[in-house]
Amino acid sequence: MHRNLPQNKEALLKSYTTRLKEDVKSMLENFEEIIKLAKGENDSQLNRMTQIEQDTFEMQVRAANIVRAGESLMKLVSDIKQYLILNDFPSVNEAITQNSKLFRTKQQECDQKLMSLRDDIAADLYDLEDEYFTSIYK
Amino acid sequence: MANSVNISIEAPIENQIQEITYDGQEIYQAPLSMSENLARLAQKIDFSKTEDEFCNIKKEGESSLESKSEDDNKEPGYQSSLWPWDSVRNKLKNALTEVSVLADVLSIAKEKRYMVLDPIQAEPVDSRPMVQVYGRKKALSAAGAVLLAGVERLRASETMRMTRNMPDFHIDLLRLRQNWRLKKVSNTIVGDLSYRTAGSKFSQTGVFEVTKAPEEQIAQAMSMNASGPAPSALRVTVPPELQGVAFISVLCQKEQEDVVTATLSSSALNCPSTLLGDGADLHWQQKLEAAQNVLFCKELFARLAAEAVQLDASIPHMVVGNQIMATVLPGIQLLIGLCHNNGQNNNHNPEGIKSEGSSGKSEHDHVLEHSLHQLLRAVHHNNTHHPFPHPATGPLGPSKRRSLAGPMAADRYELLDMSKEQSLLEQIIQQAQHFFMRRRSEYVLDTIAKEVKDPLIVSHWNALNSPTQSCVKINIMAFGYDAVFRTSLVVHIYQHQMTAVQAVGRCMGWQLLASSAHLGSGPVEPLSNASSCLLASPNGDRMIAIRCEPSVGIQVFIAQSPRKDFFASELVQDKKWENLGGAFKEIKLEKMEGKNFLNKMELLMACLSSPS
Repeated sequence: MHRNLPQNKEALLKSYTTRLKEDVKSMLENFEEIIKLAKGENDSQLNRMTQIEQDTFEMQVRAANIVRAGESLMKLVSDIKQYLILNDFPSVNEAITQNSKLFRTKQQECDQKLMSLRDDIAADLYDLEDEYFTSIYK
Repeated sequence: MANSVNISIEAPIENQIQEITYDGQEIYQAPLSMSENLARLAQKIDFSKTEDEFCNIKKEGESSLESKSEDDNKEPGYQSSLWPWDSVRNKLKNALTEVSVLADVLSIAKEKRYMVLDPIQAEPVDSRPMVQVYGRKKALSAAGAVLLAGVERLRASETMRMTRNMPDFHIDLLRLRQNWRLKKVSNTIVGDLSYRTAGSKFSQTGVFEVTKAPEEQIAQAMSMNASGPAPSALRVTVPPELQGVAFISVLCQKEQEDVVTATLSSSALNCPSTLLGDGADLHWQQKLEAAQNVLFCKELFARLAAEAVQLDASIPHMVVGNQIMATVLPGIQLLIGLCHNNGQNNNHNPEGIKSEGSSGKSEHDHVLEHSLHQLLRAVHHNNTHHPFPHPATGPLGPSKRRSLAGPMAADRYELLDMSKEQSLLEQIIQQAQHFFMRRRSEYVLDTIAKEVKDPLIVSHWNALNSPTQSCVKINIMAFGYDAVFRTSLVVHIYQHQMTAVQAVGRCMGWQLLASSAHLGSGPVEPLSNASSCLLASPNGDRMIAIRCEPSVGIQVFIAQSPRKDFFASELVQDKKWENLGGAFKEIKLEKMEGKNFLNKMELLMACLSSPS
């Protein structure tokens, strides 16, 4: 798979890996931070209510971050699928050969049918021409 | 070698190394500024220690005894063994200090001039955890709600696809990829529907864009026709110049005065509008195939137009707008037009389309259109398929004839002859010419067959024809006598009659005395010559003479051997001379019974053969 990939393709694949790692890491970190906030060990000089508000807000942001990372993972999955579909040349070649085989057999069938039809019609036409030209109605 | 080695001497690193990166680079800490330095030094001071000393100094000021004791105080560190009461003394001293401080405070408080003592509110230590717990609970639930909302969205989209059997974008994309060329350019998926990989050299590109169809539209389309085929999750955007339907219309017609305007308007309107539904409804496969067909027609027309301009025919070909006019035969024109209906101008005057379309369609030559398509495809095929041997990587190769030209020692004229290629237009004109020639010869044969009743002319058209060559088999025969004699295509029908009579005579046992296909006697015929033959009955007493003149028809004469009107004269006295056949008498053929000439002749022969 990695034999002769051009530079940018290689970079793209690497970026997929880093995206995966970053998203998972972001999920974990944000979760840890939420847990830490829930423990509430950090004493600061802020007013308590302000502190609580800030914590609430921070938790929401971190939760949203987790969701974002999840969506980003879904996007990554879709991107990888797309990449695979667009760059999987062996399977495309297989599909092409299959298609061409299918169409070739279809063509042969059609040709055979047409030929038999033509033969029938030619034979009939011969008889009809005979009949027409020997008849008195011309 | 005597090269001296360079030794670099550096001042020692003054700053501390903060970090050494993986590539060995050292990052130094910035030198401390004055204030930072001060702070660093200040950190080194142990204030607890100095406070003690400070206290001591204060106490020193209070009494000389204290100072003395302080001197002693320093010593016990290492003289504690000598002073067993040292700890007691220290405790007492501390107590004294505190008591004196208390006394000071009390005195100041009592004065009330410098300081007032107020009760301090006790901190509400109890309520604090509860508020925080509630706050955190609220914060966590808000965070949880955000997470749940995100999960719900993912799940909703997933279940919608699963339960309602929504088409999957990627599966559709895979199917598209298996049939069409696609690639990704930055964020969009771009496809190519041109025939370039199949050998086309047309400059116009056939790029289309693939996007994901919005889910609401899919759901809507699914609800609209639940029974029909599932809508695709793909949306294909074709450039506007390739949208719609196109075809090449080929017309053969007699020359007219106002040909240009008449045909242009009719052919522009009679485009079939099968793609009338708005483009979104159409499946991508059909849409792309239609676009590809448009591209193909455009290429075909562009090529034909270029050839029409380049060719220098005796009657120059005309290219007007989307119409090419070429003269096939004198008085007959071949009109090739490109009809492209891109769905934008199809709503004006629908009745005009119908009336003109029905008349135009009957004239449209499907066979020639098909031949045009075939010709261009053959060109494409030749562009990609070069005869062997050719370089594996080379896009071009010499033709087979040219590669044989070396060994065969072809001369310049042969080589020049090889380089000539018939253009598509020439080929299609040839085909059209052939078509007309065939039609005309058919007509001629049919009319002759209609006019000439007696020998039947039967023409059989061969079914295996090439576009420019046809084969017809013509049998001339008499009804009922086709086993006896049939002629395959004789130029003149009376020759058939002549030879057929001879054949019939041979069957009846009659003797052919003389025959000539080209008589020199009689009036000059406009076509061909008069022919004749002379037949004698088996026992030789009757003779039939047939004379055939194309302009007059067939005349039959008979003669009897013992002539009935023989009278001995002065010149011929002997009776035996009556056996020398008498004068020929003409027979009124039309009064005779019999279906046709040969039948009549047979009856005549039969009649004459019987002993009278």
